[in-house]
Amino acid sequence: MKYRAMGLPMIIAVLLSFTFNRAWSQEFKPSKQIETVVHTGPGGGSDLFARAIAELLQKEKLISQRMQVVNKSGGGSAVAMSYLAEKKGETHTIGFFTGVWVTNPLTTAEATVTMKDLTPIVRLVLEPAVIAVKADSPYKTMKDFIEAAKKSPNQLRQSGGSVTSRDNLMRMLIQKATGTQWTFISFPSGGERLSNLLGGHVQLMVIEPQEAGEQIRAGNLRVIASLTEKRLASLANVPTIKEQGIDVPLIPQARGVVAPPAAPREEVQYWEGVFDRFAKTASWKQYVEQNQFEDGYLKGPALSKFFDDLTVQMRDVLKEAGAKVVR
Amino acid sequence: MDALSNLLLGFSVALTPVNLFWCLVGVILGTMVGVLPGLGPAATIAMLLPLTLKMDHTTAIIALAGIFYGARYGGSTTSILLNIPGESSSVVTCLDGYQMARKGRAGAALGISAIASFIAGTVGVLGLMLIAPPLARFALRFAPPEYFALMVLGLAMVVFLAGESMVKALLAMLIGLWIATIGTDLFTAESRFTFGQTKLLGGVDFIAATVGIFAIGEVLVNLESQGGAEIFKIAKGLRNLLPTLQDLKDCRFAFLNGSIVGFFVGALPGAGATVASFMSYGIEKAFSRHPEKFGTGVIEGVAAPEGANNADAGGALVPLLTLGIPGGNTTAILLGGLILWGYKPGPLLIQEHPELFWGLVASMYIGNVLLLVLNLPLVPLFAQILRLPYYVLYPLIVGISIVGVYSVNNSLFDVWMMGFFGLLGYLMRKLDFPAAALILGMVLGDSLERALRQSLMMSQGDLMILVNRPISATLLLIAAMILCLPAARKVRSWRVEAIERES
Repeated sequence: MKYRAMGLPMIIAVLLSFTFNRAWSQEFKPSKQIETVVHTGPGGGSDLFARAIAELLQKEKLISQRMQVVNKSGGGSAVAMSYLAEKKGETHTIGFFTGVWVTNPLTTAEATVTMKDLTPIVRLVLEPAVIAVKADSPYKTMKDFIEAAKKSPNQLRQSGGSVTSRDNLMRMLIQKATGTQWTFISFPSGGERLSNLLGGHVQLMVIEPQEAGEQIRAGNLRVIASLTEKRLASLANVPTIKEQGIDVPLIPQARGVVAPPAAPREEVQYWEGVFDRFAKTASWKQYVEQNQFEDGYLKGPALSKFFDDLTVQMRDVLKEAGAKVVR
Repeated sequence: MDALSNLLLGFSVALTPVNLFWCLVGVILGTMVGVLPGLGPAATIAMLLPLTLKMDHTTAIIALAGIFYGARYGGSTTSILLNIPGESSSVVTCLDGYQMARKGRAGAALGISAIASFIAGTVGVLGLMLIAPPLARFALRFAPPEYFALMVLGLAMVVFLAGESMVKALLAMLIGLWIATIGTDLFTAESRFTFGQTKLLGGVDFIAATVGIFAIGEVLVNLESQGGAEIFKIAKGLRNLLPTLQDLKDCRFAFLNGSIVGFFVGALPGAGATVASFMSYGIEKAFSRHPEKFGTGVIEGVAAPEGANNADAGGALVPLLTLGIPGGNTTAILLGGLILWGYKPGPLLIQEHPELFWGLVASMYIGNVLLLVLNLPLVPLFAQILRLPYYVLYPLIVGISIVGVYSVNNSLFDVWMMGFFGLLGYLMRKLDFPAAALILGMVLGDSLERALRQSLMMSQGDLMILVNRPISATLLLIAAMILCLPAARKVRSWRVEAIERES
């Protein structure tokens, strides 16, 4: 009896180990260089992020193959997304997404590939944003600025990215919540946005804390509100926009990884495994802290839901903002 | 703490064997990247960034900056020899550089571009060292209206790019301006003239268009002419392969012009080396005693733009290092590198890390000397390419063009675009339209339109904003004066005729 009792589990164990072994041998592991697609040129936000992640993954010995960053810039994220869609069935290609990958197809008829077509893998970070003014400007709080905007509608100016960028959508939302209006001026590069604020040609800018950090320390900029749910650790004395009585939905700026359409289950599992381990490393935590990101780790069905919800939210916000929504 | 003692500190950093070695590696790589069309310094630095993590940070920035300014030296090589712009900032160099090569003065053209690069590159570093903080503050006064005026001034240079017919030059420029509108509009996120093509959403690739118009167009025209037997005269003897003393004298003003224009335009985050090189070419022609000879292979026409795009490298580092603001792709990557290495680039960088800034400045003086020493002996070597028979040379030009254009975005579509622009370039040559005017429109169109719309947003649609600000008013006035030049010349020639008839 005893032998039998021991024997059965043994047999099961052996059988199981067989099946596991077979599963093992079927497990995906990159066998060549991994093509890593970003939608900006060299030096753009997504490009630098992807290169940093590639470097850290290699440093932590989490991947065995090199990640080769490929720049597919143009049309917001359209060129990169349609390139990924063309790579259906290719298991050695991944892409780094941002919020633009959700908004761009909503407003651009030619951008026929949406996030629904691609295979989500992991969301890595959420980038917080703050509202900054020049250090010598009269606006000390959001209220000061809103009052000034009420007094002289459309006379105040904000510098930012494209009209579908988070900067502008946040402006639209705040304007609507407060019944004010000011002007939004698009600049293609972050450098120009910042230099126009520092030069006093615009009064306001939505900026990432990392980008603003040194300007604050040098006494060039002042942050009057953070566009986050909770106060930022690095700017603990700056109240959030909601604390200042302006109740607007916050638009998340996410960064993460996607694969081409209908990527095989094994490939997705491989990458989830890699990033699971990666998110626990010290170098990742240090990177997040250095860049003042929020850890936004998310995968699986929760990530798909995030994209679905974000698409719905962005469609509403864009419509409200008066942008032409095509899908 | 004056500049001199700081510079001594810098040299003590830059002259260590390790830093010297990596400075050399950087400038050699830069030269190579510059010579090869397509692959640019931004992509190269991005690729090499991971390798620098294990280096000392000052060493790393010395090496990467070496690639950045070294590429500006190499860019002229293919422009002069093969009419293929090696970098977008070397487009203007094609105009007179390639004509010099056709006249058997390829060596002189290559030599003067190395010398001009050295002089202007050094002036750029000098400027970076001495006036970076005040210049950065001045550059902050440039808002959209000032950029608009600067771009108008640039467009006014079309006057100097026109051949026989001003009408043809203006037409070509307008086509260039139109091409610049293709793609996604920044302000409305709507696509313009993309014909439903996803690949056109990002606009027409500048390298594909210029290589097509210049290199492919030239090959097509030459194929047609009598089997293209003898196009290049090759000078014999080493003496004829380098610029003469007279050449250097002729270029005195060009050195100065290129240095100053390049440095100041470079320091503006919204301009760029291509704008700088067009401007200095225009200025050179405006002040020349023989403007009619430009475009036929005058040496100043090579020295000025090549100087400008090298001084620009020094200028571009001004906003980066003093304010933490990148002006272009390459400086954006350097900024990313600084962050990755653990620095906090911003207004306090120089103050808190003097060894980084002054080490870099000192290494750039050394790097420019290295580049000159490296590039001059290469001149006779490169000039030998022209000895190749045309049935080798033309396939070579087409091959280099295809590889170069493909390598920018790994896009076959861009190669087709290059072919299309090659045909356009051929037609333009046949019909005597100046290709440079079209390129000028393409370079400036985007910034011009953007700056105008930004200005009008600032002023709620009031055009007065363009003229009631001192800097933009001055720039626009200069542009107006330049545009009046051809008319003034006509009036003068009428007067001369009238006087002659009377006497």
